[in-house]
Amino acid sequence: MEMISIWIAAILTLGIFSFLYKDNPLYKACEALFVGVSAAYWAIVFYFDNIYKKFYEGAVTAEEPDYFLWIGAILGLLFLTRLVPKIGWVSRWPMALIVGATAGLWMVGYFVSNAMNQIGNTISNIIARDELTGAIAWGETFGTMVILVGVVSGLVYFFFSKEHKGVFGATAKVGTWFLMVTFGASFGYTVMSRMSLLIGRVDFLLGDWLGILR
Amino acid sequence: MKRQIPLVIVFVFGTLMVIQYFVPHENSEIVKGFLLDWIVIIGIFALALGLWSLVQVSIDKINSRKENWEYPLVTLISLTVMIFFGFTSHAEDASWWGYFLAIAVLLAALWMLAQGLMGNAANRNVKSLSALGLVIVFSLLAIFDGSWEFKFYTAEGLTNQMFVHFFDYIMIPLQATMFALLAFFITSASYRAFRARNLLATLLLISALIVMLRFTPGPWGEYLAKTSSWVMNVPNLAAQRAIVIGIGLGIVATALKVILGIERGYMGKG
Amino acid sequence: MRNSFEKTRASRALLLVFVCSLLLLIVSFSTSVSAQADNDSDTPADSILALAAPAPATDLKAFDTDNDHGHSITIEWTLSADDGAGANSVISYRIMKSESPDGPFDSVGLVPLGATSHVNSSAIDKNSEGYFSDNTDYYYRVEAMTTNAALFSSSEIVGPVQSSGQWFNAGLVPVLIAILIFTILTMIFVQLAKKGMDLYVRPLAGIEAVDEAIGRATEMGRPILYVLGLGSAADIATIASFTILGRVAKKVAEYQTELNVPCYDPIVMAVAQEVVKSAFIDAGRPEAYKDDIVHFITNSQFAYVGAVNGIIMRDLPATNVYMGKFFAESLILAETGAAAGSIQIAGTDEIPQIPFFFVACDYTLIGEELFAASAYLGREPELLGSLKAQDYAKAVLLASAIIGILLINIFPDFGETFKSWFEVID
Repeated sequence: MEMISIWIAAILTLGIFSFLYKDNPLYKACEALFVGVSAAYWAIVFYFDNIYKKFYEGAVTAEEPDYFLWIGAILGLLFLTRLVPKIGWVSRWPMALIVGATAGLWMVGYFVSNAMNQIGNTISNIIARDELTGAIAWGETFGTMVILVGVVSGLVYFFFSKEHKGVFGATAKVGTWFLMVTFGASFGYTVMSRMSLLIGRVDFLLGDWLGILR
Repeated sequence: MKRQIPLVIVFVFGTLMVIQYFVPHENSEIVKGFLLDWIVIIGIFALALGLWSLVQVSIDKINSRKENWEYPLVTLISLTVMIFFGFTSHAEDASWWGYFLAIAVLLAALWMLAQGLMGNAANRNVKSLSALGLVIVFSLLAIFDGSWEFKFYTAEGLTNQMFVHFFDYIMIPLQATMFALLAFFITSASYRAFRARNLLATLLLISALIVMLRFTPGPWGEYLAKTSSWVMNVPNLAAQRAIVIGIGLGIVATALKVILGIERGYMGKG
Repeated sequence: MRNSFEKTRASRALLLVFVCSLLLLIVSFSTSVSAQADNDSDTPADSILALAAPAPATDLKAFDTDNDHGHSITIEWTLSADDGAGANSVISYRIMKSESPDGPFDSVGLVPLGATSHVNSSAIDKNSEGYFSDNTDYYYRVEAMTTNAALFSSSEIVGPVQSSGQWFNAGLVPVLIAILIFTILTMIFVQLAKKGMDLYVRPLAGIEAVDEAIGRATEMGRPILYVLGLGSAADIATIASFTILGRVAKKVAEYQTELNVPCYDPIVMAVAQEVVKSAFIDAGRPEAYKDDIVHFITNSQFAYVGAVNGIIMRDLPATNVYMGKFFAESLILAETGAAAGSIQIAGTDEIPQIPFFFVACDYTLIGEELFAASAYLGREPELLGSLKAQDYAKAVLLASAIIGILLINIFPDFGETFKSWFEVID
């Protein structure tokens, strides 16, 4: 049984890799299988986690049932009215609830974490000092100044309602240079971890399946 | 009216959640908890809708007999089989024959049912009747075959040997391999970046190379490691911060527009 | 010619920025205070075996913790005379709690020497560990502990004290003010825009490419693929993407091109169906709408990617649009699309994925540009007005950062206060 399973896993692995050469029947089959199995897997997991554990045990069989959860179920049923064209518009109510509630939830949260806290982090002493001697650490001081220039010019790039011309445009241009350096850095940072994923699969093929590597 | 009610709901719940943020009282946390629970429960009902869409599109493709019509069949079979595994438990030392026979009958029944309901007008009744017959056979198997049973109220299906096997030996390798494709794609993307010749692309490339080579051993290594950590901690940090602030404002503005009913694109009306 | 002109402008700006920073440097250098004095406290002599009980902690205070959900009491005290001084025998403080001044007292916390406060709190769930109810009397005492577990001394008992939740978090006042200002600003500009104020927005290549890309698809007779990403309908990036989808779908309906929208999240699918349907009705072609234009695939990240890759390779769409939340799959999709020769337009607020889209796609909307896109495509005055408000907010934040830096370098005390307004924690 174990042997057959490993063979299946190996064939599926090769099937996905074969896509790199070109689209082919084996890849198509793997893809179709993957879609079916994964959709069913998550449906089952969500069913037991939410419908059963959260709703059924929380609102139906519990000693002190949470009647509020029934509202969730009713909203869910309203959502299903989409299947009936005549009353389908009712399904917009639960949609509106989701969109409205999360818009409110994110609005202040993102304002605090993305806007205010980032400005707070930017406000710092320009002059960096050596902790022991109190002398100016020129390297770090240069660094904090570059950060300031980067934040300012980067933000200027994101202005939409002002034409990028003159000094403003030039600052925005400096901003794009900073953006490029960032994109490059995060690209370069990811390369190695992606390679290790490949190594993991090759390890499976050569080790678990073919037994060459042990 | 049809358009107004959703906007009112959005406004009321949006404002409620904004206020909630400033109220630390436990009642406020309880309200938030309920709203989040509701969203999760709505999501489950929506998932049923999603699966229905997947099934419908697949059946349409199969019935059209256009190129590649066979593959949706694989999807439908694996979907049904995996769901069946998830809702059943199999007695440990019992034979598997009855179990697999039941699956085969179930698949045939569903197929006939689908054809009867959605197929061509010709012999629809015959198909519907055979579906009914197969469903009866399946029910008899479910009742009288003691080697397996349905488990809707206990999560025993999640530990069903076949369910676990399908997860371990089909889903996991497919998932890991799909992810591993990134190793090749990041290489081709690097090549693409390498070909572009202008100031911006060059900046991107140089900083990518510096960071990529940060673990290089040898005399150059230490220098590269230092430069790369400077790139990460100074210019990278600066631009990241600008992007983060921009995204924050974009999200706040969009959320505000949604709550105030200015942005209605998500309701199909811009 | 144009290039060198731009170069001089760029260098002028650089020079300006550099000179400003230099000025800042000089100003702050001449006024900045010298490095802070070290305030390392003396460490206790290791392993002194205390023979006598240490002096107790004094001035014990217990009060309801501010700005919280309740179920939390803060205890403060003054250090024992033998903590870091005197006999130097205190190693920790044990916080004891009881419902009656006569006991029994139970330990609710242990803090190391030198600490002068402790927050005794619990979750709001009745079944959680250490739960205690609001509006109930409690008594506290603090025990100064030594290395010898039997050798400790108790402070006096304080109480009764009750915990309760607050209805407003006073620590968030700066946030409230900022949010109010932003809301008012947005409303003002929306009103101005409605009244016909001329609002300029700079061109965004990614957005301008959308129309062109749909035209190209029509000419080639190939479909357009629109991917909403892995976000849920609760992600603002996905909501922004819905608006863009609406515009694209309307154009698609007008041009009679094919559209394919595979979905990862079922709620997103339902909303997207609604969006596309309305767009087709708006374009006067309701009969062309079919529910399978927007369809669900699976909510498993890589299975979804596999299927979308299949669509890209088999249908060879003329244009792929990726807008919303994307994770590791961004590069798999974008590279496959590039290999298939599609024109690709992407936009996401997931910062780690932006570089991959940037490299593999023809046009990329970076972060905030995704949220601005709906205003660009719709050209409705309300949406453009709010863009203006966004820009003002950016200007205010930028100014705050610069003022803050000046303050902290010139008037450190006031600067720190100013900085703290921005450092509110959720």
